[in-house]
Amino acid sequence: MIADIITIVRDNWLLLLVGQYPNGPLGGIAATLILSVLSIALAFPVSVLLALARLSKAPLLYWPATAVVFIARGVPLLMLILWTYFMVPIITGYNVPGFATMLVTLVIYEGAFLSEIVRGGILALGRGQMEAAKALGHGGASAMLYIILPQALFNVLPSILSQFVSAIKETTLGYVINVPELTFAANQINNQLLTKPFQVFFILALIYYVVCWSLTRAATLLERRIVTKRSGLSGAPLALTATAATVEP
Amino acid sequence: MTQSQPAQAGAPMITFSNVQKRYGAVPALIDINAEVARGEVVVVCGPSGSGKSTLIRTVNRLEEIQAGSIQFDGQEVHGSLRGKQLNRLRSRIGFVFQSFNLFPHLSALDNVMLSPIKINGASREAARATAMRLLDRVGLSNKIQSFPAQLSGGQQQRVAIARALAMEPPAMLFDEPTSALDPEMVGEVLAVMRSLASEGMTMMCVTHEMGFARDVADRVWFMDAGRILEAATPDEFFRNPQHERAKRFLADLRH
Ligand SMILES: Nc1ncnc2c1ncn2[C@@H]1O[C@H](COP(=O)(O)OP(=O)(O)O)[C@@H](O)[C@H]1O
Ligand SMILES: [Mg+2]
Repeated sequence: MIADIITIVRDNWLLLLVGQYPNGPLGGIAATLILSVLSIALAFPVSVLLALARLSKAPLLYWPATAVVFIARGVPLLMLILWTYFMVPIITGYNVPGFATMLVTLVIYEGAFLSEIVRGGILALGRGQMEAAKALGHGGASAMLYIILPQALFNVLPSILSQFVSAIKETTLGYVINVPELTFAANQINNQLLTKPFQVFFILALIYYVVCWSLTRAATLLERRIVTKRSGLSGAPLALTATAATVEP
Repeated sequence: MTQSQPAQAGAPMITFSNVQKRYGAVPALIDINAEVARGEVVVVCGPSGSGKSTLIRTVNRLEEIQAGSIQFDGQEVHGSLRGKQLNRLRSRIGFVFQSFNLFPHLSALDNVMLSPIKINGASREAARATAMRLLDRVGLSNKIQSFPAQLSGGQQQRVAIARALAMEPPAMLFDEPTSALDPEMVGEVLAVMRSLASEGMTMMCVTHEMGFARDVADRVWFMDAGRILEAATPDEFFRNPQHERAKRFLADLRH
């Protein structure tokens, strides 16, 4: 059993790592990580905009954003993926590659979830910060940019990292629309060997576990640092970098 | 910089005319008619829930009013003022909160520098020089790099005062600036307020510090149930309060 696993990894490590690349599309762990990093990186600005729209009093901002968030949070991701996969070509007349479909869907889905985290972070600051900003003469945008968001986003960093871990796990669903990511690669191996599904999928599980566990661990450590900083005991270095990022003219 | 038409030197800094304010159906300010003259220090006192915070917060429009008008330095605060004009006006009204409301992600120095840079377009060097001078003035030149969480309540409130002063406001409003402080820190904040008053700053202070009122105030306004019941010199007010409610309030304070 252990020997099988070692053999499978030795024979297929390149496939697990990068898929068919360079002879085919990039796949494997590389594709999984690229997909999840890109989706979170793009979902992040989307989430901030959604959160601000959801906090806005303007109905034209509030209602569309609220609808997007509720729909994205209210339906299974797989359904969202299938919808995008089958509907976008019908509507646009273009065939969209699986990778792009998956990315767009993940950005909307992750964006909706992150927006609620960001919104919570903003609300958690209480109204004193916004009032102080207004009293000094800051407009809404200036207050958000220099006073509210730097604090709110910093405080929700651990949650953003957890959402990133979820994104990694969600990329497995790309399998159903033939995105050549890690699960897809594992299934290819399984189809070649035919007789060793347990070993193959054990390797798959192990890889996901190691990647996600490391990131979860990082989120916990980050959270602890932020709590320490907020209590004012230490963490001046963290605080200083936050300052440098926000007060440059 | 100041785009408001400078009012005549004799005109009041703050004028309340027939101000009415309700929270839902509950009246919070009733028929407020009062003035704060230039260079004057007004202490607003009264029992909890009498409308002191509401009154002071209408001056920079943190609270809206339903009727009447408020003028600050000759400019109408409520009514049609919007967006940038409102922000400009607010930047000229120093406001100090009971809960300090420092920006916790910024050092003391950056708390003071932020608004002059972002709102007035001050250069970093100029803002820094001003901030250093003001922090020195409130006795915190050795704490400029500290973050709010590393400062005591009294120190935080002094940074908050410096932050408000950095916008060079012609008047300062204080909403119970010492109520959230441990007793031993009240004095350091009052000392800063006294020095401001002695330099001729126009001040409107909600406070229960009757020693401060007696020594520093030009006038004391006593509020009850949304009305200004008495407006008198500290001497008149403390020696001979007119209303039963004011007598009881002063008696309660002495205990
Ligand atoms: N945001 C609010 N919503 C509803 N009622 C309020 C609000 N703020 C204050 N009030 C009410 O208005 C009255 C005056 O409050 P406030 O101005 O805070 O009094 P003070 O500062 O003198 O203690 C109180 O009855 C209070 O309960
Ligand atoms: Mg109050």
